[in-house]
Amino acid sequence: MDSFLAQYIDPYYLRILVLIGINLILALGLNIITGVTGQLSMGHAGFMSIGAYTSAILSMQFGYPYFLSLLAGALMAALFGFLIGIPTLRLEGDYLAMVTIGFAEIIKVFFLNFEPGGKAVGLSGIPQNTTFVIVWVIVLIVIILNARLLRTRMGRAFYAIRENEIAAESCGINTTRLKVLAFTIGSFLGGLGGGLYAHYMYFIRPQDFAFMKSIELLNMVVLGGMGSIPGTILGTTILTLAPEMLRVVAEYRLLFYGALLVILMIFRPNGLLGDIRIYDIKKRFRKKEVETCRS
Amino acid sequence: MKFQGKAKWVLLLCFVMMFSLLAGCGGSNDKTSSGGDDQETIKLGFLGALTGSVANYGIPGKKGMEMAIDELNDQGGILGKKVEGVYEDNKGDNSEIANIAMKYITRDKVVAMVGDPCTGLTKTAAKIAQDNQMVIFSSGATGDGVVEIGDYVFRNTLLDIYAVPAVVDWMMNDKGWKNFAVITSLDNGYSTALTPVFKQVIDEKGGKIVLEDSVNDGETDFTAQVTKLKKANADVLVFTGYYTEAALILNEAQKKNLDITLVGGDGLYGQDLAKLGKSAVEEKVIFYCGFSSDEPGAETAKFLENYRNRYKEDPDMFSAQYYDAVMILAKAMIEANSTDPKVYKDELAQLKDYPGVSGNTTFRADREPIKSPVCLITIRDGKFALVDTLPVHE
Amino acid sequence: MFWEQLLNGLTLGSTYALIALGYTMVYGIIQLINFAHGEIYMFGAFVGLFLVSVAGVNIFIALLGAMAFCMVLGMLVEKVAYRPLRGKSTRLSALISAIGVSIFLSTLMALIRGTNTTRYPEVMQIHTYNLGLIEISSLQLIILLVSAFLMVGLQMMVQRTTIGKAMRACSQDLEASYLMGINVNRVISFTFAIGSALAAAGGVMVGLYYNAVWPYMGMMAGLKAFAAAVLGGIGSIPGAMIGGVTLGVLEIFGVAYLSSSYKDAIAFAVLILVLIIRPQGIMGQKISKKV
Repeated sequence: MDSFLAQYIDPYYLRILVLIGINLILALGLNIITGVTGQLSMGHAGFMSIGAYTSAILSMQFGYPYFLSLLAGALMAALFGFLIGIPTLRLEGDYLAMVTIGFAEIIKVFFLNFEPGGKAVGLSGIPQNTTFVIVWVIVLIVIILNARLLRTRMGRAFYAIRENEIAAESCGINTTRLKVLAFTIGSFLGGLGGGLYAHYMYFIRPQDFAFMKSIELLNMVVLGGMGSIPGTILGTTILTLAPEMLRVVAEYRLLFYGALLVILMIFRPNGLLGDIRIYDIKKRFRKKEVETCRS
Repeated sequence: MKFQGKAKWVLLLCFVMMFSLLAGCGGSNDKTSSGGDDQETIKLGFLGALTGSVANYGIPGKKGMEMAIDELNDQGGILGKKVEGVYEDNKGDNSEIANIAMKYITRDKVVAMVGDPCTGLTKTAAKIAQDNQMVIFSSGATGDGVVEIGDYVFRNTLLDIYAVPAVVDWMMNDKGWKNFAVITSLDNGYSTALTPVFKQVIDEKGGKIVLEDSVNDGETDFTAQVTKLKKANADVLVFTGYYTEAALILNEAQKKNLDITLVGGDGLYGQDLAKLGKSAVEEKVIFYCGFSSDEPGAETAKFLENYRNRYKEDPDMFSAQYYDAVMILAKAMIEANSTDPKVYKDELAQLKDYPGVSGNTTFRADREPIKSPVCLITIRDGKFALVDTLPVHE
Repeated sequence: MFWEQLLNGLTLGSTYALIALGYTMVYGIIQLINFAHGEIYMFGAFVGLFLVSVAGVNIFIALLGAMAFCMVLGMLVEKVAYRPLRGKSTRLSALISAIGVSIFLSTLMALIRGTNTTRYPEVMQIHTYNLGLIEISSLQLIILLVSAFLMVGLQMMVQRTTIGKAMRACSQDLEASYLMGINVNRVISFTFAIGSALAAAGGVMVGLYYNAVWPYMGMMAGLKAFAAAVLGGIGSIPGAMIGGVTLGVLEIFGVAYLSSSYKDAIAFAVLILVLIIRPQGIMGQKISKKV
C-alpha cells in the first residue's frame, strides 16, 4: 500500500505525514492528561520511551508479532502511567510537573544503563513494520474514540477537574479515580505512539526521548489549545512541519522556531483553537442555534 | 455564532497546510530523474548537526566537506560536472536525520551522503540509504553494526577493535601501567561502545581495573569523580568520551593536585582539548588516531595548510574525515566513470591504500576500513605532538 | 573523602541555589515557571567572560557588569514575552512562551559564539588551604561566601525594604496589591531583574569554578534549579537555598557512594519521595484550597 502511495506522493512528504500521525497519537494522549484534566505533565516522552523499548525488544528478541508488541508496549506504558498517577492524588500544579519531569529522567537514566536496550549506543535493527496506512488508521480510531470519550459523562468530569477540582468533587465526581484514569489513558497512547515510532525508525536511543521531546509534545497541546482535539491536531501539524519548513533559514532555524512559539502565544494566548471540541464544530455545521456550554 | 470565526480558521489553516504539501508533491514530479547521470551538477548531501548541543562535531565536518568540494571544482569537478554540497542541519536528532536523508534522496537527488559523526544516527540514515540504493559514507561512526546494514554503506574511521589492543599493549609494556581507572560518557554512544572494548582487552592482557565511573556529556561538574579517582590509586585513567569532557576532567584533576595521565580514543582529537585544558592537558593526555598533524605526510601537510588559510583554525578529526570521505567518493566515481550509486559503489568497495589526510585506508572485503599505523598523540606546548606509532595486527 | 565530597556538594549546591532563587521569586509572584531563566544564567556567564577576557576588567567588576546586563535582559524578556500574556491566558501559555524564549536565547548565543565550550580565563591565583579534615580552595571559598552574601542580602531586602514588602504583597494577592496602589508591573519587572542578576552571578561563578562555559549550559542547570526550587517549596526564598544545597549534595553523594551512572536518577528519586511525603516541598507553606 505504501509503495502504491509512494508513486503519487514524494516519500519525503510521506515520511513527514507519518511523523505527524505518530506525534498526533502522542499529543492526543498528553491532551487527555494536561489539556483536558489539567494535570501538568512534562514527562510524556518517558511513556513514549517505555512503549518504544518494550515493543522493540519484544518484536526483536522474542519474535512477537507487530501488533501484539505494540499493544504490549502501550500496556506497559499504561502501567507506569497508573503508577505515576498515584502521586497526583497528593500533588498538584508544578509539584506534579516536577514529579513527571523526574520520572522521565529516571526512565532515561534507566535505559542509558539498560544492557538489552544497548545503553547509549541504542537499539538498531527494529523491523520497520509501521506504515503510513497503519499510522493513519490508528490516528483516526484514536481521534474518534477520544472525541466520544470526551462527550461522555466521564469526559465532562475530566473537564470539571481541570476547571475546579474541589467543585468537581463536591458534585460527586470521584476525582482520585479519574485523575489516575486520565494518566493511564494518556500514557497508553504515549506508549502506543512510542511503539509505532520505534517500528518506523529502525534505530532508537534513550536520548531520543529526552526532556526536550516532552516539551515539544507539551508545546503541541498548549499551542493548539488546551483540551481541544482539533486544536491538538492543528498544533501537532504546525509544530511537526515547522522545523522542516524553516529549513530555508538554515542555521537560524531554531531562532525562528523559538520566536514562533512566543509570537503565536502572544497573538493567541489561549492556544490557536482555544477550547473547541469536535462536537462543537459538528453542531456548528448542523446549524443548530444552540449556544454551547463552554467549559 | 461564537465559533464561526474559529471554525473558519481551522479550515483555512488545514487548507494552507495541505496546499503547501501538495504544491511540494506536484513540484517533485517534474524532475524525476533517478541516478543523476543526466544532471548538470552532482550533489553530495551532508549529514551532521549544525545547531544544538552536538554541533561542535558537525560544524568542522561541514568545513572539511566544503573545502574538499571546492578543491574538486578547482580541478574541474567530477567527470566534468560541477560538485555541489547540500547542507541540512539535523540537530543531532534521530527523526530529523531520517527526514533529511529522505529529502536528499527524493528532493535534492544527491549521488551520495556524507556523515553522520554519530554511530546511531548513521544507522538510521544508512537504513534509508540502503532501502533507496543510495551510497552513504560515514565519517565518524565507530560502533558495531554499521556496514552490516548493506552494500551501500561505507565508513572511514579507525576501528577501535584494532587500535585498542595495540594501545593497551603499549600502556602495559612500554609504560608499565597496570592499574586502570575507566571513565565513560554515559549518554554518549561512542563512549559506551568503546568502554567494553577497553575493558575486555585490559582483562585479557592481565591489567587491573581499579575504578569504573561515568560522566554525562555537557556537564561541567566532575569534582566527585575526580575526588574518587584520587583515592583509587590508578596508574592511568582511560577516558572513552570526547575532548570537551576530557579537558574538564584533567582541569579538575589539576585543581585537586592529582597527577594522572588520561588515555583515550580519537574522540579526543579536537582543538578544544588544548584550548580548554591549557596547562592541565600538557603531556597529560594521550590518545590514538589514524593520523598525526605533527609529522604529516605530503597530503596531510597540504590539507593542514589549506585548512588553516581558509578557516583560520586547525582542523580536527571530523574535518579531516569528511574531507577524505568526499575525496574517496570522487575517486570512486571517476574510476567507475559514473555518478550512479548502483555503479560506483562496487568501485568504492575496492579501495586500497588510499593516502587520505586522516591516514591510509583500505576497505576489507566486508567494506570495513583498516587504517594503519595507529598514531599515539599528546599535547606539547598547546599543540598535538606525536608520541609513538604502533603497528596494527588484524 | 566524606568531607571533601560534602564540600564539592555544597559548592555545586550553592550555584544551583543562586539560580533557583530567581525561579522561586518569579514563581512566588506570577506563578510562572520561567524556563528562560537557565538561559539568563548562561548569558551572565558569557557576559562575564567577555568583560574579563576582552574588556580586561577585574573579576568582581565583571561579576557586577554581568549582573547588570542580565537585569536588563531579564526585564526585557518579561516585557516582550510574558507581559502581553498576563491576565489573558492560562499559566501554561506563558510557560510555552518561556520555552520559546529559552530556545531563542540559547540559539542566539550559539550563533554568536559557536557551539564549542569556551575556557574561562584564570583571573586569580588559586590557593589551597588545608583545614585538617578537608582541603578547600580559594575559589570554593569565594563561591560559598559570595553565594551566602547574595542570599542573605536578598532575604534582607525582601524582609526589610519597601520594595520587598511590595513583592511579598504581590506574591500573596496580585489584584489586591494593585488595588492597594502598588505598581504591580514595576514590582514584577523588579523581581525579574533581581532574579536574573542572581542567575548571572551564578553563571560567572560556575564559569570561574569549572573553567568552562557553553551556549547550552542553561538547559540542564535550569532544570536542576527548578528541581531545587520545587524541592525547597516553590515560592519560598529560604526553601530555594535549602533545596539547591540539598540537590547539589545529593548529586555528589550519589556519585561518591552509590553509582555515578544512576546519579541523576538518584537525585530525582529522592526529590519525588520528598514531594510525596511533603507535597508542598521542604519549606513551602500548605495553602488550603478554596472554591
